Amino acid sequence: MSSSTNITTTDNSNHRDPGLWFLEQSRLGSVPGPTDMDEDEESPTELNTINSSGGFLVVSPDKLSARYTNVNLHGHDVGVVQANKSAPVKRLVYYFEIYVKDAGTKGQISIGFTTDNFKMRRQPGWEVNSCGYHGDDGFLYHGQGKGEPFGPTYTSDDRVGGGINYASREFFFTKNGTVVGTVPKDMKGPLYPTIAVHSQNEEVQVNFGQQPFAFDLKEFEAQERMKQQMMIEKISLPTNVSHGIVRSYLLHYGYEDTLNSFDMASKSTVPPVYIAQENGFDEQDIMYALNQRNTLRQLVRNGEIDSALVKLREWYPQIVQDDKSATCFLLHCQKFIELVRVGALEEAVKYGRIELAKFFDLPVFEDIVQDCVALLAYERPQESSVGYLLEESQREVVADTVNAMILSTNPNLKDSNGFLHSYLERLLRQLTACSLERRSLSGDQGEAFHLHRVLNICKKARLGAS
Amino acid sequence: MSFFLSSTIDQAYHQLAQIEAELKAAMAGSKKIITREEWEKKLNDVKIKKEDMNKLVMNFLVTEGYVDAAEKFRKESGTEPDIDLATITDRMAVKKAVQCGNVEDAIEKVNDLNPEILDTNPQLFFHLQQQRLIELIRNGKVEEALEFAQEELAPRGEENQSFLEELERTVALLAFEDVSNCPVGELLDISQRLKTASEVNAAILTSQSHEKDPKLPSLLKMLIWAQNQLDEKAHYPRINDLSTARLEDPNV
Repeated sequence: MSSSTNITTTDNSNHRDPGLWFLEQSRLGSVPGPTDMDEDEESPTELNTINSSGGFLVVSPDKLSARYTNVNLHGHDVGVVQANKSAPVKRLVYYFEIYVKDAGTKGQISIGFTTDNFKMRRQPGWEVNSCGYHGDDGFLYHGQGKGEPFGPTYTSDDRVGGGINYASREFFFTKNGTVVGTVPKDMKGPLYPTIAVHSQNEEVQVNFGQQPFAFDLKEFEAQERMKQQMMIEKISLPTNVSHGIVRSYLLHYGYEDTLNSFDMASKSTVPPVYIAQENGFDEQDIMYALNQRNTLRQLVRNGEIDSALVKLREWYPQIVQDDKSATCFLLHCQKFIELVRVGALEEAVKYGRIELAKFFDLPVFEDIVQDCVALLAYERPQESSVGYLLEESQREVVADTVNAMILSTNPNLKDSNGFLHSYLERLLRQLTACSLERRSLSGDQGEAFHLHRVLNICKKARLGAS
Repeated sequence: MSFFLSSTIDQAYHQLAQIEAELKAAMAGSKKIITREEWEKKLNDVKIKKEDMNKLVMNFLVTEGYVDAAEKFRKESGTEPDIDLATITDRMAVKKAVQCGNVEDAIEKVNDLNPEILDTNPQLFFHLQQQRLIELIRNGKVEEALEFAQEELAPRGEENQSFLEELERTVALLAFEDVSNCPVGELLDISQRLKTASEVNAAILTSQSHEKDPKLPSLLKMLIWAQNQLDEKAHYPRINDLSTARLEDPNV
């Protein structure tokens, strides 16, 4: 019975409860880095012993080094071996390194990238759809039998690296930590890190990142990002547009005290900042009920859920009318969470039975209500897997839900969906979507924009610098 | 007969529709066309944490020196600033001093904050001294200005060619009775003070291992850039006006 009512509320998008949107926000809290999905892509970890040119070379038991044991006779008995996985693509740069343990009798070692159907008896670069940097002549081979002068030769005790720069669409190679050159990457499909040995006793160790590289990859990535940043910084913005976006953010979420201080300070800066309709900012929708929204935000943030409910019933009864709405659900959950926080477990159980039990068989709420109740199972719930519910960010989600629902009651609402997302959020969504779409239209290659990462990269870089 | 006629009309309509679709595709080149509905779904799938947006706003308040607002925002949103708020007050005091022409005062305040800032940044120190000279000239203190230029600025000019040129340009102000018409008159403009003030502001932030610019403007530029990049591959709803964040239908 109840599940059928639920289907009608979720599937009919015209009458969809807007509060449901905030359940997603709450779920986001349970995932530590919800935007770092890219790192899930598999990377090479060892050499592929199944698809190597068996007989010409021997791969060590740890699958991280290869030795040529034969005497080479011609061009079709190269000892070549690929990595077990292709290079990951959803990133800025992929890179791996080799250490030449022994250059053997001729030092005919090479490092490069090859595709799935590479002929496993040839040097990378000799065949189409492959490329390789060769040790004996320092040449780069790129799909033809003949190579081109590229970098220095390399031999025993050298550390040589091969990388793919997805931003510039280039391969690059390094020797002992220094880039020796780059070459356009015109090969498609999965690319496998590949090494080859071709004279007696040649031995090479591979490092897929398990050991520190001789090359400073982090710095290289930082430089690449900087290049892009320099280009982007040249774009000019309308005067004070950032200021206006921040102001509308404060208005949208009802951060009234911050807004007042911000406005005061803006007037006294030299020169003063004027944000008004002249700049195109339309703030009518988000001015609505600012003071009441702020009051409710404070109550929720202080954990005073009962008072918040009283105020809501008085000021906006329509929001809390339906006791099975997402807003009521989140408020009841929060009340329950606040009881757990102060250790009033018995009261929490009682409250849960009255107010939360009815959400158990509703699929949209089920996972969250289960998480809430699970708080009771732990002596130190903060440290448990459902600890996210006790964080400040959860109160913020509830406060944001109430805020959005009040905005939606504005009879003069111009943008019917405007109450859900602030201008800032809409811009950030657009930026992320553009970046993801562009990558998906470019063979999934390269780094996409993630706000979370941008905020954290800079922090890491700063820590590194200081 | 009538049945036959209606079926040819149907066929003709069908053909027309086909031609129209082909024309559209040809006009659009090989670009992918993304409808508003499809795009809105993609926008909704983007996961953005509220706390990350709060951090972005806090970063703006802090970097731009809105110390009271940052303090209030910390209380209202629970967002921790990425810098000690007390240092903002000091930084803003220095900035304001330069903006008001009290350069001596500003230099003293910078040195109170961290003497290394000026020691390790000769260009900034020169620009502050230059601003001091400009203020002396503005106030008609010709003798004092000359003495200051010769004693404090000239020795630095000897070390650095570009400093010397700047010094000469500044001293040239003295040659004109009516500076409003002189070619270097811009030095007396308020914008020169603002330039120096923002230079000293950036240096203080750097010394506190904080980025000298807020992240938000960079992200807005990145949005413009990302849209331009995607334009090459697809037609999709764009945001053309940052201040309304309104999604506009692709014109295909």
